Amino acid sequence: MTEEQKAPDVRQLGLEPSDRDGHTLEELSDYLEAGRLPVDPSIEGSPGCQLALDALERLQGLGGQLIEADAAARPEVDDSWVDRILSGIALDARAGRRIPFDESDPSVDFGITEGAVRGLIRSAENAVPGIMVGRSTLDGDVTVVGEPIRIAIEVNAIYGESIPTAVARLRAEIAERLHRQTDLTVTSIDVTVRDIQRISSAAEETS
Amino acid sequence: MAGERFRSALEQADDRIVAGRAMDGDVAAFAVLVRRYTPMMRAYTQRMLNASADVDDIVQETFVTAWQRFSELEDPAKVKSWLMRIVSRKAVDRIRALRPMLDVDDMEQAAPSHSAPARVVEARAGIEALGAALQELPAAQRECWVLREMGGYSYDEIASELDISVSTARGLLARARKFMIVRMEAWR
Repeated sequence: MTEEQKAPDVRQLGLEPSDRDGHTLEELSDYLEAGRLPVDPSIEGSPGCQLALDALERLQGLGGQLIEADAAARPEVDDSWVDRILSGIALDARAGRRIPFDESDPSVDFGITEGAVRGLIRSAENAVPGIMVGRSTLDGDVTVVGEPIRIAIEVNAIYGESIPTAVARLRAEIAERLHRQTDLTVTSIDVTVRDIQRISSAAEETS
Repeated sequence: MAGERFRSALEQADDRIVAGRAMDGDVAAFAVLVRRYTPMMRAYTQRMLNASADVDDIVQETFVTAWQRFSELEDPAKVKSWLMRIVSRKAVDRIRALRPMLDVDDMEQAAPSHSAPARVVEARAGIEALGAALQELPAAQRECWVLREMGGYSYDEIASELDISVSTARGLLARARKFMIVRMEAWR
């Protein structure tokens, strides 16, 4: 290592106001972030500004790398931490709307939560190899019996399975489960395949 | 066996699927998010506070808030940046509770000395040097820099988070960058 590297001359970095022909570091940061456009001849023509821009450029993106490195250096999350988080959440917070059953006796008021219906929708994937269900949306007023309801589901397809077959099976499975366990008037079940997902062979070996 | 295979598929699923399920009330999917993003949220909080006390409390509060407010997340594919925003806000709240006024006059730090701390001398990578330099920044500069460079906040957002003017935020960031550049120069 040379003496110069050990003790960098701050003046060479264009960091002193007198080096920069009247331009501030704030100004140069903005100019850099704008992709050095529109071209500013006064900045581009100043050797001091060029040095400062080079230095600022070297710093760009390092914050993101540092946080990635910090996170990677941390130990894997243990089960007790996950348990601590899960014990602190209110399970009914995601229950959603209340969906009544079709009951002729007005003194009886039974229902199921929207969250439970979404659970039913997700559980259909257990009967359909090759599908991982994501978010589901119940479009329509589910709080009124008989209202037409459109169901929209996002899924990933697991690599290696036929997508049209899996989607058709999933749709049938969901329709059947909802018919059996709710009084929803389902007009359509729209399935959107968002991605093809690979499951690593290591995971398959352990299963 | 099938259960294990399924858990593994969920762990390997992308954020859109996992967060979409968690929003819908799937606790197992929420647990996957907790495992996936706890390290980054802890790292971010530690950089923000420059201390490790309170880090776990802040990250836990963040997940509790996220579960409560999932309906505000419009795009489940963006759950990572959404979680980082919440943890950032919680960290700033903690800083404010400990220090109600941001001391923007405390803007000057000693110039980096040539006899750097042992930690820095041992640093093999520039990233480590950067991390060490960040720890030496005065609080106000560090907070601005972390919000900007790690949190991706705009100047306006930094100003409103820290309750300072936009020009003060810009000035603090410029000072922070200058300090970091000088510090990093030794590792070029």
